[in-house]
This record gives sequence, C-alpha cells and structure tokens, in this order.
Amino acid sequence: MSDTAIPSQTQSKATPKQTGLAIFSGRRGLKRREALLAYLFLSPAIIIIGLFGLFPLVFSAYQSTRAGLNNVVGRPDGLGQYVRAIDNLAYVLAFWLALFCLVVAIRNVNEIFATARAKEESPWRWLLPAFLSAAGLALMLWLIFTFMPGVLEIGEQLVGFTAEERNELFPQFLAEAWRAPGVSSTFYYALLAFFLSGLTYFLIQKNSKPTLRDGLYTGKWVTAVFLVILAGALIWLTFTEIQTAYAEALEEGESLAIWAQMVTISAGFVLLLLSWLVWRTAAHRDSNMQTFLRFFAAILLMVGGWVLISELPVVIAEGDEDWWISLRTTIFYVIGALPAELFFGLVLATMLYQEIKAKGLFRMIYFLPYITPAVGAAAVFKVLFSGNPTGTVNILLASLGLEPLRWLNEPSGVNQLIGQSLNFTVPEWAAGPSLALVVAIIFGIWKYTGYNVVFFLAGLGNISREYYEAASMDGAGRWAQFRHITLPLLSPITYFLTIFGIIGTFKAFNTIFVLRTGAALGTMDTASLVIFDAFNRDTRIGYAAALGIILLLVILSATALLDRFAKGRVFYG
Amino acid sequence: MSKKYIKWFMLLALIVPMFLVACGGSTEEAVNDAVDAVEEVADDVAAEVEQAAEEVADTAEEVMDTAEEAAPAEEEAAPAEEEAAAEDMGPCAPATDGPLAGVDPRGQTVVWWHNHSGGREELLIEIINDYNETNECGITIEPLNQGGYNDIRDAVNASIASGEVPAALVVGYQNDQAFYQLNDTLVDLNEYLNDPTWGLSAEEQAAFYQSFFNQSIHVAFDDQRLGFPPNRSMEMLHVNMSYLRDLGYDAPPTTPEEFVEMSCAAAAASESGVGGYVLREDASALAAWTFAYGGNVLSEDGTEYVYNSDATVAAMTMLQELANPGEDGLVCAYLFDGFPNPEVANRNALFSMGSSSGIPFYVGDFNTVAEEAGSEADEYAVAAIPHTTADPVMNVYGGDVMIVKTTPEQQLAAWQFVKWFTSPEPHARWVEASNYFPTNAAAVEYLGDYNEQNPVWATALDLLPYGIFEPQLISYQSVRDAASEAYLAIVVQGADVQSTLDELTETANELQAELLEEMGG
Amino acid sequence: MANQAVPVTREPAKPVRSSFDWGKFFTYFILILGAVVAIVPFLATISISLMNLTEATSQTFIPSTPQWGNYIQAWQEADFSEFFFNSLQIALITVAGEVVFGVLAAYAFARMEFPGKNLLFGLFLATLTLPQAITWVPNFLTVSWLGKVTPLQWIDNWPALTIPFMASAFGIFLLRQFFQQIPDELWDSAQIDGAGHLRYLIQIVLPLSKAPVLILALFGFLGSWDSLAWPILVTRSLDWRPISFGLQSFLQEAGSFVHLQMAGAIITILPILVIYFFTQRQFIEAMTRSGLKG
Repeated sequence: MSDTAIPSQTQSKATPKQTGLAIFSGRRGLKRREALLAYLFLSPAIIIIGLFGLFPLVFSAYQSTRAGLNNVVGRPDGLGQYVRAIDNLAYVLAFWLALFCLVVAIRNVNEIFATARAKEESPWRWLLPAFLSAAGLALMLWLIFTFMPGVLEIGEQLVGFTAEERNELFPQFLAEAWRAPGVSSTFYYALLAFFLSGLTYFLIQKNSKPTLRDGLYTGKWVTAVFLVILAGALIWLTFTEIQTAYAEALEEGESLAIWAQMVTISAGFVLLLLSWLVWRTAAHRDSNMQTFLRFFAAILLMVGGWVLISELPVVIAEGDEDWWISLRTTIFYVIGALPAELFFGLVLATMLYQEIKAKGLFRMIYFLPYITPAVGAAAVFKVLFSGNPTGTVNILLASLGLEPLRWLNEPSGVNQLIGQSLNFTVPEWAAGPSLALVVAIIFGIWKYTGYNVVFFLAGLGNISREYYEAASMDGAGRWAQFRHITLPLLSPITYFLTIFGIIGTFKAFNTIFVLRTGAALGTMDTASLVIFDAFNRDTRIGYAAALGIILLLVILSATALLDRFAKGRVFYG
Repeated sequence: MSKKYIKWFMLLALIVPMFLVACGGSTEEAVNDAVDAVEEVADDVAAEVEQAAEEVADTAEEVMDTAEEAAPAEEEAAPAEEEAAAEDMGPCAPATDGPLAGVDPRGQTVVWWHNHSGGREELLIEIINDYNETNECGITIEPLNQGGYNDIRDAVNASIASGEVPAALVVGYQNDQAFYQLNDTLVDLNEYLNDPTWGLSAEEQAAFYQSFFNQSIHVAFDDQRLGFPPNRSMEMLHVNMSYLRDLGYDAPPTTPEEFVEMSCAAAAASESGVGGYVLREDASALAAWTFAYGGNVLSEDGTEYVYNSDATVAAMTMLQELANPGEDGLVCAYLFDGFPNPEVANRNALFSMGSSSGIPFYVGDFNTVAEEAGSEADEYAVAAIPHTTADPVMNVYGGDVMIVKTTPEQQLAAWQFVKWFTSPEPHARWVEASNYFPTNAAAVEYLGDYNEQNPVWATALDLLPYGIFEPQLISYQSVRDAASEAYLAIVVQGADVQSTLDELTETANELQAELLEEMGG
Repeated sequence: MANQAVPVTREPAKPVRSSFDWGKFFTYFILILGAVVAIVPFLATISISLMNLTEATSQTFIPSTPQWGNYIQAWQEADFSEFFFNSLQIALITVAGEVVFGVLAAYAFARMEFPGKNLLFGLFLATLTLPQAITWVPNFLTVSWLGKVTPLQWIDNWPALTIPFMASAFGIFLLRQFFQQIPDELWDSAQIDGAGHLRYLIQIVLPLSKAPVLILALFGFLGSWDSLAWPILVTRSLDWRPISFGLQSFLQEAGSFVHLQMAGAIITILPILVIYFFTQRQFIEAMTRSGLKG
C-alpha cells in the first residue's frame, strides 16, 4: 500500500497550503479525497472479492439462463432452468423482482424530491449525468453477458495444445473473443457514457451554486435509473418467456394458465400485505369500534389472501419436488440449529465472563468442537450416534433402560417417533425433521456454540464495567443488568452473528455432507446438497446455478427481513 | 503494538514447524531438504560465476562444472533425444504409415491421475518407476493421487472448461466417460488398439476377459472405446467359514433358500436373536441380487432402466423377509453402521456382501480379532452370490483408465503405457499389489504362487468368467442414489416391494430423460 | 484480569453473604454442563483411539489397556508430516492477507464516507450467499486464467490456494462491527493532532481492536486448515496438498479400523490445539480489558 502518500495527502488538509488538484480542494474536495482514500483502502478487498465472490455470482446468473450437460458454454434457455425448479412460480417471481426494483426506484426518486423540496432546490439537472452513468452501468452488465460466451469457449479451443502453447494462445483467443461483434463496442459505448456523465456532472456543478447535496442527488438518480432499466429488462424477459411458453403449449395442444396464476398469486400476496398494514394501524385507533372494524377487515383480507395463495401448490406442481423438500429440510435445519447455537453461546459467554475459576480451561473446552476439522469430527459423531446397539449413545440409552435408536439411519420424523412410542400415529405433514437430520442439527449446535461463545466474549470485553458499577449502585440485580446493559450493548455482535448464522445455516453443507447416510433416504439433504448433486454428480451446471440463485434470493430476503427487524434495535453506543 | 504482533506471529511460525519436525522426525525429509539446499547453493554459485566469467574465464569454467554436476538430469536427457533423432529406426520410432504416422511418443512425460492411496499407491509407484527406467521409448509416467473418482472428474472437467492441461491419463467409471465425451474430452482407444504399429494383435486382444474388455464401448457415442480396464472387482458374499461349520453346514450357500436357512440359523444361535447377514446399502448390491436371480436392471436394448422385473421383486422380497423379525422373533439380516468386516470376524454375523477388493481387509480383521482374543483365527471365505440361475451371475465393476485429448505424442505415449500396464507380466504384478482382479486372462499364469498363498482370492478368481456389469448410462450415478434409497426403504422401512420398485423404475427413467433433455439430445 | 470482570461487588447496602451462593452454584452448574457436552465426544474419541479392534466394535467405554501404539501406527501409515507443513504454509499466508485487507476494508466501511458504500457492502454480503459447490468451477476458471495472464503460477502453487480467501465479507463485516463501536471523540482528537486516517487506524483503532483481529486470524486459520475440496481441485502435486487431504486418504485407508481412524483424527487436531494453547493468553488479555466508553 502506498502508505507514504496517504499521510501527506491528509496532512495537506490540516495545513492551509493547497497543493493538490483543484478538484480536491475545498469542502467538496475533502469529501472527494476521503472517498478516494476509502477506495484505496478497499481496493484489495474489492479486487479479491470481485474476482472470487462476485464473478461466481455473475457466472451463476449467466449459467442459470442456459442449458447443457457438463458444458460451461451451453445453449440459451431463458428462464427454462428456473421453471424446471419451481415451475410457473419462476415467472411470478421474476415479475415481482421487477416490481421490487421499480418500487425501490420510486422510493429513491421520492427521497430526492423530499430533500430537494426541503432545501428549495431543483434536482432535475442531476438527472442527465445520472442517466448517462446508469446507462454505462447497464452496458457494463450487458457486456458481461456478451463477452462471457466467447471467453468460456476458449477452454475448448485450447484442447490439443501443450501447456506452453496454451499460455501463448490464451491471450490471443481472449483478444479474439474481445473483438467479436458487439463486445468491445459495448465497452466503448459504456466508457463514452461514463465520460459524458462525468463531463456533464462537472459542467452542471460549475454552473450552479455550491451545494453539498449534489452527490446525494446524483447517487440516488443513478440507482433509480439503473433499477428502472433492470426492471425493464426483467419484465421483457418474463414477457417473452411467457409468450414462448404459450406458443409451445399451443403447438402441443395443452392449455396454460401462467397469466391467471400470476394474477392470482400476486393478488393473494397483495391482500396479505394489505391485511398486515391494516392490522398494524388497528392498534393505534382511539375507539374500540374502530379497532374492532380494522381487525375484522384485516382478517377478511387475510382469508382472501390465503384463498388466493392456496393456488400455489398447483402453480409449482411441475417443479422439482426434491428441491422443495430440500428447502423444507433447510428451514428445519436453520430453525433447529441457529437459535440454539446463539442462545447457548450467549449463556455460556455471559457466565464465563463472571468471576469464576478455571476460566481458561472452560474457554478452551468450549472452543474444542469448533477447531476440530469437520472430517474428523464427523467420523467421531458417526461412531457416537451409530445406529448399532454398540454405538456410544445407544449404550447410554440402554443403561437408562431405553430402546436403541437408529440415529443417522433413521428417516422417520421425530414427531412420528415420539408418537410411536406413545402409541399414536402422527400424520405425514406433522412428521417434523427426521431423526437423522436432528443428529446433524445436534452436530451443528455442538460445533458452532463455542464459536459464538468466542464472539460474545469479545463483545462483552467491549462493554465498560463502569456501566455495571453504576447499575449496581442503583440496586439493579444481575438479571436487570443483563437485560438493560449486556443485551443492548451486545446487540451489534448479536446482529452480526445472526446475519452470518442465517447465511451459514441456510447454505449449510459441510456438517451435513459429512454425516449424510443413504439410510436417511434423503431426509438430510438440504438445499446446498441438492445443488451440489446437480452440479457435481449430474454436471447440470445451468440448473445448479438456477437453484443457487433461488437460494440466494431466499437468503437475501431472510437477511433483509432480519435487517428490518434489527433496525433500531442494534445499539452501537 | 504492531511489532508485538509480528513478533508473535513469527514466533508461532517458527515454533509450530519445529514442534512438527520434532514429532515427525522424518529423516528422509531432512535429507531431501539438505539436498535441495545444496542444489540451491550450487545454482547460486553458477549464477554468480556466470557474471564473473566475463572477467576471469578460467575460474568460470571450473565453477560451471560444479553447476553442471548439480543438474545432471538435463544433461543426460538431451543427448538421448539427439541419438533418437539420428537413427529413426530404433524401437518406438514413429510409424511411417497408418493413421498414427509420424507421431513420436519418445521422451514424453505423461501425468496419470489415479485414486489409489496408501499401500496400493506405494506399490503402484514402484511398478511405474520400473516402467520409467526400463521402457525403450523414454516415456516417463508421473502418477498422482488426485483424490477419489469424483475429485478426478471435477479436476478434469474444470481443466477442460478453463483450458488448463489435464492429466493425459485419468481413472474413472464408465458413466464418467459419457460425461467427458459430451465435451469430446477423451480419445477413442479403438484408433490405438487396432493400429498396425502400436495396437494389440488379435491374439493379444482375445486374451482379455471379453465382457470387461468391451465394457467401455459406448453405443451413445458411435461405438467409441473410451476406456481401458486395468483391473476389476466383484460383488461377493463374504463368509465366516468356521462359524458356518459350527452351525452345522460345510459349504457356503449356493441358492437363496440355503442362504436364508443359514442366515436364520446364525440369528437363532446369537444371544440377541439378531445375526446372519449384514445388509449392504449400495446400489451395486441391488444389482448383484437381481443378476443372481437371473434378471437385469437394464432393458434388453440397454436404453431404459428396469428395476421392477420379477427377479428384482423376488430378490427384494427375500431380503425384506430376512430383515423383518419372523414369527420366531429372529432378525436374520440387519443394517450395520460402518464396515461390516468386524461383524463377520466377531461372529456377530455370518455373511456380509461387498466388493472383492475388501478381501485383504477381511483377512486383516479376522487375524486381528483372533490375535486380540488370543485364539486361533476363524476361517474366512468368499462365495458367489446365492443364485437361482444354473451358473452364478456375478456383478463385476471397476474404474477404467482413459486417455484425455492432449497432444498426439502424449496420447500415444499414454497408450504405450496402458498397453504395457495391462500386458501379462506387469498386469500380474499390479494384481498382486492391489488385490484387484486381472482383466487380462494371460496374466493369471504369471501370478505364480500368489493363488496358493491367497486361497480366498483364488476362489473368487474362478468366478470372474461369470461376470456381467451394471448399467453405464449417463444418469447412473444419480440413479444409484435413488436405487440405494429404494432398496433401504424396502428392506429397512418395510415399504411395499412392488410399488417401491415401480416407482424407482419410473424415477430412474425420469432422471435419464432429464439428463438427455439437458443435453439437448 | 479476573477481578476486572463484571459485577465486582454486590450492592454494599445489602451484604447478604449467605452460607451458600446459589447464583454462583448455578453458574458453575451450567458451565460444567456445557463443558461436559462439549468435551464428551472428545473423550470418546480419545478412548476409542486407544482401543483395539474388538473393543472398538463392541459395547466398551474405556479400553482395558490403552493401545498407544495406535498413534504410532496411524502416524507412520498416514505420513502426515509433509501435509502439516503444507497446511501451515497455506494457512499463514491466507491469514496474513485476510487480516491486512480486512482491517483496511472494514475501516473504510466503518469510518469513511464514499459514494456507493451501501451498494458495495450489500454486494460483498451477497457474495456469501452463494453455495460453495457452484463457486468452485468459476473460481477455477479465474485462477487458471490469472495463471495465463500474470507472471505468477497460480494452479498448484500458493496463489490459487490462498489469494481467493484473503478477503472475506465475513471478516470485513466482523471488524466493521467493532470499529463502529469506537467513540467518535477519539477520531476528533486524532484529527486535532493532525493524524490522517491511516495513522489513526494503526495507532488508535488497531490497538483497541486486538480481540476481533485475533478472532479473525484464528478463524481464518481454522477455515484454511479445514478446507479440502478446493485444495484438491487446484493442486497437481503432493507439494501443496493440505492435512485434510492426508486425513481423508488415511480414513479411507484405515477402512474398518475405527480406532486407527480416531487416532488419525486426533493427530490432525493436535497442531491446532497447540496453536490455540499459545494464543490463549493473548485472547484473554484482549478480551477482558475494560471497555472503551465512559
């Protein structure tokens, strides 16, 4: 890093001497300088995450629109892979995603005008540079899709050459792919758009009175315009795909009801949303009558919503059943493992933070499970939870006078097993997670509780003990202290652990992969495992990518929900 | 503050390796390191002296000698090539006509990705070293354990997609070959096999067990021969003979009826009433039972799965009855978590089923158990899967070696090695080292007294001619998973045999159709 | 350091020092219970690793005579020593990069204003949500191509094994959470002293954030130590194969000998235990220092 350059640059701000470029002077310049420095700090992370995090994302998005076996080039397939996975819900989701983009765009525009009205300015002039920037961004995105096929074909072109020849030929082929029609020109148009955007931006800025909000306006305009372009593209894609589907159905003499389904499902969700809104406002009414009426209306709306949504099973009937089952398994896993991991982690960390003996020893022991390599730990758990009567846990059960269980080999739901022992039959839908999955959940809790303990301890270390001293003075008991000091001050770390816990458990792979048995009859297969099988065993790259994108959307919505919930509850002090 | 970190990290970086060295105590490594160090010094010296050479020529010459000594390998290789080029009539000279005319395999280095580890890998490396030293073409084979079958496939596919050079020689199953060939990754071995200069004579070809020899000819890919069998294994019944005799029988079962009777006799003899046969939760077992009942899991034309034939239904019904507690409360077959070998060695079970490549593990377990108990080891035997057919029908499987499209020279060099590796004498050596079965019948006479020393293995060898194989459709890997689940659902969960197998057949064919659709075919 | 911890004294007004402190008892009870659950699988592993075959496959809890020879046998058969060095090298390089890049990026997110901040952060987070299995192929393409257009050798060398893991959204997010808690007054006074961002980061922020940085380092190390599928994919020789590969092969090789498998597993855990043992002191110091505020 150029750490010599940075201090001199920042020092210049303390001294009145202005040496730098004109664009880095003044208050605007200060902000620009900070932004530049921030990007300098971020550059290694951006490069690495861009290459090894973002590229796979883009690659998957691209592959998910293509079909082919063991083939990274594939043939265009539109939304075909998504339809294979979740049937007509794919169209509905694509449409919603477009709507969502539009809603966010409108919100951005609203915010622009709200700020502008308050400051009595006109934000319109910033639209031109923003539009150009957004167009540039969209062109860049488009570039990925036009450039990718040519690049991916290079692999095949290199077959039959030696390693040295390949190293020489690769740049040549790369250049060829770049020169293919519509690739480099897109790039140059994008550059032109960016350049024009910058130019107009400075021209406008120069000819207007100084305000610090120009960046704000431009940023929001860019987001809004870009989202509108994205939404347009999505709607166009959905529409053409639906048209093709109808055309195909017509040829085969089948009837399709995508439009009807789309309207039904969307209306159902809109009703549910309305119901929730009405419900929320009901509590704030003054008169009982009004409250009652609103509750009544909310319930009516909800019923209507559910009736419409009950169409859903029909809509997804042709989808991949394994995928739906795996999503349910995943949710079982998340609900089973994550809260327990967090709860035990918090309890143990708080206790450990008190004045107790052998702290180091306890800490060491709690951390043992996490540092055990998954392969080794799984081997241990397989022996412990072996379905044989000679398995360790079964010996323990036997010593308590209980029947041995089949653990990892048991595909029946735990509720069914409990029901069996109490002599009544539990229906299929209430079977719950299989015992095999429960062992995987136990494994997850065992492995990750210590991990959470470490984070909570670090968080506790950040809380000043003066808070506690003051609270003790006021006569607050331990529980009160925990409730009003520890919990709020730990909230940033809790938030962090929950976000990553959700991401981690939703895509849990290792802990389950190493434990999965054939005898569990697939009841342990979470979403990640189904994706793994599609990708590695069947080499259906496009399909696996589509499943991956769906899982990504699921995880992102879950984290967004959590984020909404956490807003205002996370206390940074 | 930051200095403290650095110190601490360096300390860690120092202490831990030292600790490991102390623990590891591998002198061989220390010597290697020392040699490396010396070579490095020599290189350095050479580099420095090269600069000095301009000034003092005499000194330079002297030291250049030192540097040359440090790299004698290069020196030797160069003249060898020159010699070969001088007289193009030697052994391994390129053919003058035919499809492979002008392709010169000499001096090629061929990387081989295999899946063998541990003792098997060590012996494989020994055999290959001998080849590298003695082969007249100057071909060098570099073997590398590239993980399991799946890891190898991932590595090859990723290499092809990115334009990286994959190994010229890889190990894999027959359905992997189909996946590879979608990308035109593999060489059609017919081209080499039937080449007048480099191929095998009709006689030599006839020496191979024909069913394995032709296993890798793929109808779906214009009858290309995409793999070559270096070894095979067989699904067998493993038996604790001493226990069997104690129960009053003198030979392993040949029919399902005998098998059921003996299993239940063992269950009756055990304290818990559970015993007899350890169930195997693998699709190969399902296929093996179907074969033994005279059926197949593939339709006649080889394009569709048939898991609901009478043979499969009968076999599964038999196993289901065996695993369910009978009227007498006996459980004559049970599922065991982990390897079944110790169960059989411990007399907890009488039979188990599994690959013949497990024979040495069974022998080891029988001996270890006896050793630990301080008694004499039980006698261990293998037998054909009890069958309703006149002759046994055995499920034989195993990976192939495949030649990946690289350069014509590399491909030919790889073929030269494959040819040598499956020729009788080295083949016999590999068979002895690996405990696998030979694919070249001519190797049997080179086995010497190996047969006598390993009587169990010899019995199994006699069954080899009865071998047939499992489907090799492109979907077979995923169908295996489905089949294994259906099998367990029937045998362990007590699901209805006919309907479960009907469903499995449907699922299997759907999976095949799904992949074909994805292929765009 | 222990006496700095939470409630130093109970309320002085009510010196209820009863003969038995139920709160303390409860605390210890929970702690010991947790410890037992955490450690039992370990003890079981150690116990099994010292059994012979007959014991390991029957209803036995504790071996009659500990078979220490199992460890020697596992060590000799598995040939772990070379794999240890490889893993150590890979892990140290990865961790060094992860910490440096993570600290810089997290600081930018926590303390600096720049356009596109939220978008970038969201993108970073989104990269985490993709299942690993489908990232292998695109990432292999990237390292392969990088190997062809840069002078570095990527495949079968340290770059392919370490660089992809040198920046993680996880680490950046973690550090950001901690950096955000540092009070603004410190930044204001640093500015008055004429310190820029980098100096403030190194002299004030880092010393205050020992604990999270150590955690990041440790977890980065563990993650690297545990990885298996990616290293196999990008290595073409034994020179860079990690310990998990050694363990995997050994587990296969040991077959039905559960006791040897367990001994092998314990051996691979040992170095991490040693490292953890060394860092333990640092951890305690970092974590139990008094808070920042007030």
